[in-house]
Amino acid sequence: MKEPLLAVHGLEYVYPGGVTALRGLDLRIERGRKLAILGANGSGKTTLLLHLNGLCKPTQGEIRLEGQPVGYSHRALNDWRRQVGLILQEPDDQLFAATVRQDVSFGPLNLGLSNAEAGERVGEALDALHIAHLADRATHTLSFGQKKRVAIAGVLAMRPEILVLDEPTAGLDSHGVTHLLGALQQLHESGATLVFSTHDVELAYTWADHVAVFHDGVVLRQGETATVLSDRDVLRQARLRPPLLLEVAEALGVKVSAGSLSRSREALLALLRERLAGQD
Amino acid sequence: MRAIDHHAWTNRWRDWHPVEKGLPAVGLLTLTFVLPPLSTAPLVLASATLITVYGAGIPWKTLLSVLAAPAAFLLAGIPFLAISMDFTAGIDLTLSLEGLRLALTTVIRALAAMSCLAFLILTTPLTDGVLLLRRVGVPAGMIELILLMYRLIFVFAERALTGRQAQAGRLGYSRLDRSVRSLGLLGGNLFQRALDQARRLEIGLMARGYTGELCVLSPPWELSRWRLVAGIAGISLIGLVSSGLARSLS
Repeated sequence: MKEPLLAVHGLEYVYPGGVTALRGLDLRIERGRKLAILGANGSGKTTLLLHLNGLCKPTQGEIRLEGQPVGYSHRALNDWRRQVGLILQEPDDQLFAATVRQDVSFGPLNLGLSNAEAGERVGEALDALHIAHLADRATHTLSFGQKKRVAIAGVLAMRPEILVLDEPTAGLDSHGVTHLLGALQQLHESGATLVFSTHDVELAYTWADHVAVFHDGVVLRQGETATVLSDRDVLRQARLRPPLLLEVAEALGVKVSAGSLSRSREALLALLRERLAGQD
Repeated sequence: MRAIDHHAWTNRWRDWHPVEKGLPAVGLLTLTFVLPPLSTAPLVLASATLITVYGAGIPWKTLLSVLAAPAAFLLAGIPFLAISMDFTAGIDLTLSLEGLRLALTTVIRALAAMSCLAFLILTTPLTDGVLLLRRVGVPAGMIELILLMYRLIFVFAERALTGRQAQAGRLGYSRLDRSVRSLGLLGGNLFQRALDQARRLEIGLMARGYTGELCVLSPPWELSRWRLVAGIAGISLIGLVSSGLARSLS
């Protein structure tokens, strides 16, 4: 089997207070995938994500980046964080500068780039998220959705290989979600590996190509989206409901397995209309 | 406060080098203080107002509301300047020509000075001025602190507002004693959240390679020689005219 880009094995983490957050967790992040980490609220997803670029140091377990065990020295961490970019759920936790351009330049300058190079990276990242027109706006005058995209641009400007997003759609309206996912899809198509945490089964079902179901400090099952989300036992154990789109497809008698059904709502609606027309 | 900040970020002269805006503000302010007020102050007031409204495109209403508060204080002070009191034989109030003149010069001079400052704060975001400080050698740590505070003021102002609304929704401000109690709780809560926010911001910045220094790109300002010359010429002209006026008046 091919070595994943980032591999987590037997990860354990106990909070300073003594509460155990992760208990022997395994996770594989393969190059070029859109991986959803699916779990209920408060299940410790954020803690897991903080481990993925060394912001939390595990009590036990191993993390390998491109096959090499990661280190926690200053230099190793810098290198690691350049390759794995993490975007927090709350953009105000990541934005600190007065204007958008200044904020996005922070990461590239930390990489030791010159002002000119950093400026180029900023332009590139803003373009990728379609927010070039916000470059000189004051950070505090942006809407929540705009802030979220600026936070993503700030990480993207460091050109990471893996983008890790904590609940990227939380707090966005459906228009904002569509917009954001569109931009992320473009990034994905240009080669970025995406990992995102969510409690939204529908989002994972329609958008991720792999899903890891997370519950009580372990990954219950990881694999191809339709396969994992058809596993009722795993979902029940993780206190998640199966996606509605999947249930309807199954009720229509469509066998859902890897690649057999396009998982979009449009595809399902087309199928439904076809069936209804057939009944007349 | 919000309105000032909004216009500072969006006015027509937003992208000018802060020095180009600081020059007329400080220049006119200096004229107001060194030249005779009766001839200079009206000219300064007029020109500062005109460049604010017609140059930078700040609405009249905003400018007037910025000037209104200090103006109210000035007007309230007029009687105390104009009327002289004498307590030697009972209370004797006299309105002297000298007193009136003093009141007039004080008011008009203060208003002119205010209009210069209003021009500056309405056209230049606070952070531009702070970045300028960095170029003249103020320590980086201090500048980072000011910029972070500026950013977080808005984060906390929003939390304070929603917190207050949430309390008001549960009748937290329906009586004086409850108001005091609610305000105290809100303050305590904000303090806790500030600590929490600081911790989370640190994590967020570490994820972006933060190693103890908040370096960002400076705005691409370029000093325009033309604007500087125009500014100096304008100030000199106003200075000359007002000196001439002062001489012909006296």
